[in-house]
Amino acid sequence: MHYVIVGNGVAGITAAFALRKRDARAKITVISGESEYFFSRTALMYAFLDRMNLRDLEPFERKVYQKQRIDLLHGWVEDLNADRRELRLKDGAEIQYDRLLLATGSAPNRPDWPGLGEVKEGVVHFVSLQHLAECERLTPSTRRAVVVGGGLIGVELVECLVHHGVEVDFLVREDWYWPMALAPEEGKLIAQHLRHHGVRLHLQDEVTGVESGTGSRVSAVQTGQGKKLPCEMLGICIGVRPAVDWLRGVATPPALGRGIQVDRGFRTSLRDVWAAGDCAEFQRPDGTPFVEQIWYSAKRQGELAARAMLGDSIRYEPPLFFNSAKFFEIEYTTVGATTRLPDTARSFFHRWADREATIRIVEENGAVTGFSMLGSRWDHTVLERWVGERRSLDDVVARLHEAQFDVEFGRVPLAGLRAAFGAREVRA
Amino acid sequence: MIKAGTAQWLLHDVKNRGITAWLLAVVLTSFYLVLYFTEWLTPAARAVGLDGKWTLYGLLYSIAIVWGGIYVIRKYRHNRYQIVRTSVVIFVQVTFAFSIPQLLKFLHQPEYYFSYLWPLKMEYLTPGYIFSLPLPFILYSFLGSLLMVPVLAALFGKRWYCSWVCGCGGLANTFGEPWRHLSDKSSLSWKIEKVAVHTVLATSLLLTALLFVTWGVGKSNPEVARFTYGFQSFYGLMVSSMLAGVVGVGLYPLGGTRIWCRFFCPMAALLGLVQKFGRYRIRVKENMCISCGLCSKYCEMGIDVRSYAQASQSFTRASCVGCGLCAEVCPRGVLRLENVRVRAPQEASLIQISPMPSVRQAG
Ligand SMILES: Cc1cc2nc3c(=O)[nH]c(=O)nc-3n(C[C@H](O)[C@H](O)[C@H](O)COP(=O)(O)OP(=O)(O)OC[C@H]3O[C@@H](n4cnc5c(N)ncnc54)[C@H](O)[C@@H]3O)c2cc1C
Ligand code: SF4
Repeated sequence: MHYVIVGNGVAGITAAFALRKRDARAKITVISGESEYFFSRTALMYAFLDRMNLRDLEPFERKVYQKQRIDLLHGWVEDLNADRRELRLKDGAEIQYDRLLLATGSAPNRPDWPGLGEVKEGVVHFVSLQHLAECERLTPSTRRAVVVGGGLIGVELVECLVHHGVEVDFLVREDWYWPMALAPEEGKLIAQHLRHHGVRLHLQDEVTGVESGTGSRVSAVQTGQGKKLPCEMLGICIGVRPAVDWLRGVATPPALGRGIQVDRGFRTSLRDVWAAGDCAEFQRPDGTPFVEQIWYSAKRQGELAARAMLGDSIRYEPPLFFNSAKFFEIEYTTVGATTRLPDTARSFFHRWADREATIRIVEENGAVTGFSMLGSRWDHTVLERWVGERRSLDDVVARLHEAQFDVEFGRVPLAGLRAAFGAREVRA
Repeated sequence: MIKAGTAQWLLHDVKNRGITAWLLAVVLTSFYLVLYFTEWLTPAARAVGLDGKWTLYGLLYSIAIVWGGIYVIRKYRHNRYQIVRTSVVIFVQVTFAFSIPQLLKFLHQPEYYFSYLWPLKMEYLTPGYIFSLPLPFILYSFLGSLLMVPVLAALFGKRWYCSWVCGCGGLANTFGEPWRHLSDKSSLSWKIEKVAVHTVLATSLLLTALLFVTWGVGKSNPEVARFTYGFQSFYGLMVSSMLAGVVGVGLYPLGGTRIWCRFFCPMAALLGLVQKFGRYRIRVKENMCISCGLCSKYCEMGIDVRSYAQASQSFTRASCVGCGLCAEVCPRGVLRLENVRVRAPQEASLIQISPMPSVRQAG
C-alpha cells in the first residue's frame, strides 16, 4: 500500500504519523512544495523577530521521519489523474499512489485594488516561508509600511515590522479590531495596545488605490476616507482561502467549492482521494459550506483523515470552538461563541482597572455558552467543560478560580470581578 | 531577521555564537583558568582591600548576579513568578553566598556557605573537614543535605534549589540570560546528559563513601588514605574546577548557561531523581499548543518542551530546574509549573513522547 500525502503542513504530517502508527508496513510519501521539512507556520513571526532560526520552527527532529519511514519529497504537484492514480510534479516526476490525501493548506487572498497590478515590488503577504523571505528582503529598505486587514496574521506582521523600526499604518475596514472574534470593548483594548506600541491604527477605512514609484515599487496607498499613506511596503493580510487553484486545471479535478469538497469522512469526489486541513470544505446539516482555517482543526483533521484512509468509519464533528492568540503582549483565549450572538444571549464583561486584561462570559437561556479572555491565562478545557455542563453564569463566576492558568504568584485577582458581578445582579 | 544597526548586529552576534561570542568565551575561560590555577588575582584583591582572590571572586560573582538579576526582573516584569524567583536568587547570593561567610570569617567562625550543600559542596559531608566545625554547622550540613534537600525537592521539585537558591543556577538565570537558548535540544544530547550527570553523581557518592571509610580506618591503612586523597584531589580538579568553573561558566556564550547543571552537577542529578517521583510537574493545556517551539528554544536545560506540549502531555523531566521560562515565553499560555498531590503515573517516567497527538473525537 502506498499512501501519498500532498502538503507537509500540520494536517499532512499528523496524518502521516497516524498512518504509520497503525500500518507498520505501508509506504508513506509526503510531497510538499514550500519546504522539505514540516515547519510551524504559526511561528513564522518569531523567525522574523529573530527569536528563532528557521530550523527552530521544525516541530520534529529530522531523523524522526527516517525512523518512522516517511519519505519526504520536495516539489510542487501540478497534475492529478485519479483514474490512473497518478500525480505529476513540476519537475516532471510521476508518482503512483494507492490512497491520496490532499492537505494543501491555504493561500493568501489577493484583492484587485486599482493600481495594485502595476506594482512590481514592495507588496507582501505573510503566510509562507517564501513570503517571510520577501518581507525580510524588503524590510531594510522600508521606512513606512501599510498593513491591511484586521485579523490575526495582519497584527503579527505589524508586530514584526514595528520591532524592526518600521512605521506602520494598520488599516482595518471594520468599526473595531477583529469583530469576527472580539466584542467592541475588547477591540478597543487591543486598539489602545497597538497605538501604545506606535502603530497608527486606522479603523473603518479601506484601500481604494495603490500608487507605485521608481522601479514600480509601491509608494503610497489611498484610502476610502481620503487619506494618502506613503509607504515602501504594503502588507496584504485580508484573509486566506484554501490553496486549491492548482486543482482546477488537473486531469481529474475533485469537486471544488471554496475548498476541496469532502464529506464528514474526509472523502473527496474522487476515488481513493481524501482531503484535510485548511483546504477541506465541509457542509453543515443545513447545506451551507464551512472551512476551518486554524492549526488545531488542521491537526485534528489530519489525524482523523488518516483513520478514514485506514478504513475506520469517521464522522467529523468540529468540537466546541476554542482558539488562542497574542496581540503584542496581550494573550487571548476564547471558547464557544462570543460574537454574532442571538438576541437571547447576554454577556458579563469585566475589565481590570490596573492591567490590560478583560473577561467576557456569555450566557444564553440560563447556561454559559462562551468565554473571551484577554490578558490573563485560562484553562480552556475547564471552560469547555462548564459549557458542556450547561452551568449558570452565577455558578461559573463563583468557581472561576478553578480555570485560572496564570503563573504561580501571578493569578489575576478575582475579588473585584466578583464584586462587579454582584453589583450588576442587584441592578438587574 | 537581525535588527538593523551595528549595536543590534553585535547583540545578535554575541548571543548567537558569532565571533564576539567566541571571544567572550575565551575571556571567561581564561579568567577561570587564572582564578583556579594561578595567584595572579591575589594582588588585585589586596589592592581593593580584600583578603584574597576568592573574596574578590565572590564579590564579582555577586555583582554579576545583582546586575543580571535586575535586568531579568525588568525584562519579565509582567511575570510574578520571575520577579519573586529572581529576587530570591539575588537575596541568597548577597547574603548566604557572600556577606554571611565574610561576616563569619570576621567573627573568627568558619567561612560557611549556607546556600551550598552536599553533594555540590563535597566538603560539607567530608568528615575530616565537617567534624572540625562547631556543632551547629555540623547539624546544618547533615540535616540540610540529607533531609531538607530531598524533602523540599519532593514537595516543590528541584527548582527550590536549582533555580531559587543555588549560585550556579543563580548566575545562569541572571548574568547568563542572553545565552539560555544555546542549550542543545537534540535527543542525542539528552542521552549524553543522562550518562554524564549520573556518572558524576556516582563518582561523588563513591568519593563520599571513601572519605568516611578513610576517616574511620585511614590511620591504620595509609594505602586507603593515599588512594582516597588522590581521588579527592582528582575530583576537586576535574569536577569542581574544570567542569563547574572553566567549562560551566566559560562556555556560556557557546553552549548555553547550564552545561554544568545539566551534564555534570551531582546535586542536580540527585534532586532530579527525587523530582521524578515528587509533586512537581509542568502541566500542559490539552490541544492548545501551536508547536511554535519557543518553549524548547528558551529551555536552558535543553528539554524539548514542545515535544510534550504538542502531544498534550503533562510531564516531569529529571533535569527540569523549574526556571519557568517555557511558561513565560509560550505565546498561547499552554504551560504551567505546579506542585500536585496526585499525578498520572506516566508523567513521572522518562517516556519518549510519540510524535502523534491523540485526538478526542467530539460529538
Ligand atoms: C502567519 C500565520 C499565523 C498563524 N497563527 C495561527 C495561530 O496562532 N493559531 C492557529 O490556530 N492558526 C494559526 N494559523 C493558521 C494555521 O497555520 C493553519 O491553519 C495551518 O497551518 C493549516 O495547516 P495545513 O496542514 O492544513 O496547511 P499548511 O500548513 O498551509 O500546509 C500546506 C502545505 O501544502 C503544500 N502545498 C500546497 N499545494 C501544493 C502542491 N500543489 N504541491 C505540493 N505541495 C503543496 C504547501 O507547500 C504547504 O506547505 C496561522 C497562519 C499563518 C499564515
Ligand atoms: S511555546 Fe507554547 S505554543 Fe509554542 S511549542 Fe511551546 S507549548 Fe507549544
